[in-house]
Amino acid sequence: MAAIPSNVPVAHAAAPGDDENLFTFWPRHNAAIYKALADKYTHIETPASGDGAASGDGSMGEPEVVTPDDKRRAEWREEHSATTDPLESSMILNLGPQHPATHGALRVVVQLDGETIERCLLDVGYLHRGIEKLAEVKTYQEFMPYTDRMDYMSPYSNNVAWCLAVEKLCGIEAPERAQWLRTIGCELARISSHLLWAGTMVMDAGALSVFLWTFKYREEIYSLFDEIAGARFTVSHSRIGGLAFDFSDTALAMIRAFCDDFERNLADWRKLLDRNRIWIDRNMGVGVVSYEDAIAEGYTGPSLRASGVEYDVRLFEPYLVYDKLDFDIPMRTEGDSLARYFVRVEEMQQSINIIRQCLDRLPSGPVRVDNAKAAYPSKDEVYYSMEGMIHDFMMTDTGVAPPKGAECYHAVESPKGELGFFLASDGTGSPWRVKMNTPSYSNLQGLESMMEGAMVGDTVVLIGSIDPVIGDSDK
Amino acid sequence: MAETPNDFHATKNTIGGPDDGLQVDPGQETQTLKFYFTPRVGLAGEVERLKSENPHAKSSTYLPDLADALKARFGDAIGEVTLYAGETTVYVDRASIREVCRALRMEMGFDYLSDMGTIDRFTEEDRFEVFYNLLNLKARQRLRLKVRVDEEDAVVPSVMSIWRAADWHEREAWDMMGITFDGHPDLRRLYMPEDFEYHPARKEFPTLGIPGSLPLPPNEPDGPLTMDPFARAHGDMPKQ
Repeated sequence: MAAIPSNVPVAHAAAPGDDENLFTFWPRHNAAIYKALADKYTHIETPASGDGAASGDGSMGEPEVVTPDDKRRAEWREEHSATTDPLESSMILNLGPQHPATHGALRVVVQLDGETIERCLLDVGYLHRGIEKLAEVKTYQEFMPYTDRMDYMSPYSNNVAWCLAVEKLCGIEAPERAQWLRTIGCELARISSHLLWAGTMVMDAGALSVFLWTFKYREEIYSLFDEIAGARFTVSHSRIGGLAFDFSDTALAMIRAFCDDFERNLADWRKLLDRNRIWIDRNMGVGVVSYEDAIAEGYTGPSLRASGVEYDVRLFEPYLVYDKLDFDIPMRTEGDSLARYFVRVEEMQQSINIIRQCLDRLPSGPVRVDNAKAAYPSKDEVYYSMEGMIHDFMMTDTGVAPPKGAECYHAVESPKGELGFFLASDGTGSPWRVKMNTPSYSNLQGLESMMEGAMVGDTVVLIGSIDPVIGDSDK
Repeated sequence: MAETPNDFHATKNTIGGPDDGLQVDPGQETQTLKFYFTPRVGLAGEVERLKSENPHAKSSTYLPDLADALKARFGDAIGEVTLYAGETTVYVDRASIREVCRALRMEMGFDYLSDMGTIDRFTEEDRFEVFYNLLNLKARQRLRLKVRVDEEDAVVPSVMSIWRAADWHEREAWDMMGITFDGHPDLRRLYMPEDFEYHPARKEFPTLGIPGSLPLPPNEPDGPLTMDPFARAHGDMPKQ
């Protein structure tokens, strides 16, 4: 073994061809990384040029559904294929993973020709927590707080989505009041998520003041959640079979006051942005996704509706009490970044309408199923009766146990799109398999092709416009 | 029945819930709690009840007519049609999954691939299942297709030429479950490093990871790698 010079920082000094013993940082991975870096086109290679392509010819094998964007991209690739670049002037640029504009640990690798993005690949593996695997060793109720950490910008929606999926699997129906309260919570989460999106999106585009305003109202929503659930960020308020506890009168009054105050301010922000010359120039015609392409790429949520596809789970398969409410689904047909802005801003207004209706029509009654085999008993029972305490232990230890072989999929419209859980049961208190269908994952997948042909300066706007959360795209 | 304590323990596992009567070890004169210790698995009629009486069942997922139409058209390629919680699941033969998908996409209006995933059935025949959640946006229908493959030959035709949205889903299925998709143009790993040798979503992959498969970096520049961050849990006790 060759002696390592003492002045060499060993873990970082190794380069291909140096002494093998210098590799102390994940030896095999280091070798793989250097092998990858040796080729300039490594992460951007067209499948045909690589040797690892599974199908051999490397093409998608006759795409049978050709959208207008496909044709545009095919022409684009024709123009910018490797043969027209004899000087190899294209450049690979790595954006992220740790940059505020990449919204979490997202790495965007772009191949540039001048300022134009020729090809874009995303790397979403940085935050891989194996959350689906984790769910298999938790009981259904134990896993609920983990859903807070998925799309951590709207934890309430995730809690409700999980509980609804488990309730569908077990055939439990939460009481009426719980459903109305859950609806309020989900819509508050939608406002909170869209507020963060609006602030960071405008900040990505170069203005800071809107960020400060939206965060003021996010703070107020945090205070609301603090009053509702006892936690500001990761609320964990939903339970299988209902809610942990009822909203207090203070909370209901606070929500009502928030609605009035927020509605006025929303109108003010729209006055600033809706006809703002800079904002419109920055967003109009940027990242256009056609109707057909939005469907083919599997976009979801506001990104899908901005392209004119009327798909909203609240409308498509009404859950909770959405079929009893009167509200609109904002739509745009332009499919560009500005359209996605308008859809989200109008959704916030609709959420306010929904919350108001819920507050007006809120029925009284229990907020959790009165069945100790389906839901936690109330704390009064737990503290003052032996049966209550035993049931509490049993809900914690094994919880609900759906029949063996039961499988179901339940989706809700989270702020970012369709959030669905596919659950398979083996008859025990833990799920056999949990497959999450998360909106950021679907949208990020579309981002790869959306970026092709765009300008590098628009990258952050495009990333912002589909509103990804990396905790949500991780499985 | 059981005479010795050993026999009692041997039969204990087969006893389910309260319907099996009071279980008292004849060797012991202790009082037995009458609460339901374990959830009752496979309770008679429970599955049947939930199939029809589920409060969350939606009309958009109950599609027996469509399943019949598929059967009439594709014959033996369509296997069992199951129903739970009002959701129709159609099992499709692996060889014809692309044809069925093409027909659903081009002719029956299922234009949106909402989700795609895998299930590991572990000890059963045809170990892996790949499911496709399809949406008909115009008719407001949601259909689930399923394909079963064996562990020895875990290859499924790619549907990426029909729904481009299948791209990452198929890559994820390859990465996490180790199912390859024939015809996918770029079947790279999605989450795990390129040179990772295992497929973590499989049931036999331990939750704590396989020791040495993904070591932690050294704490100091020339320090050793941590080959197994959970050594104690993997049965490796430190020497005294």
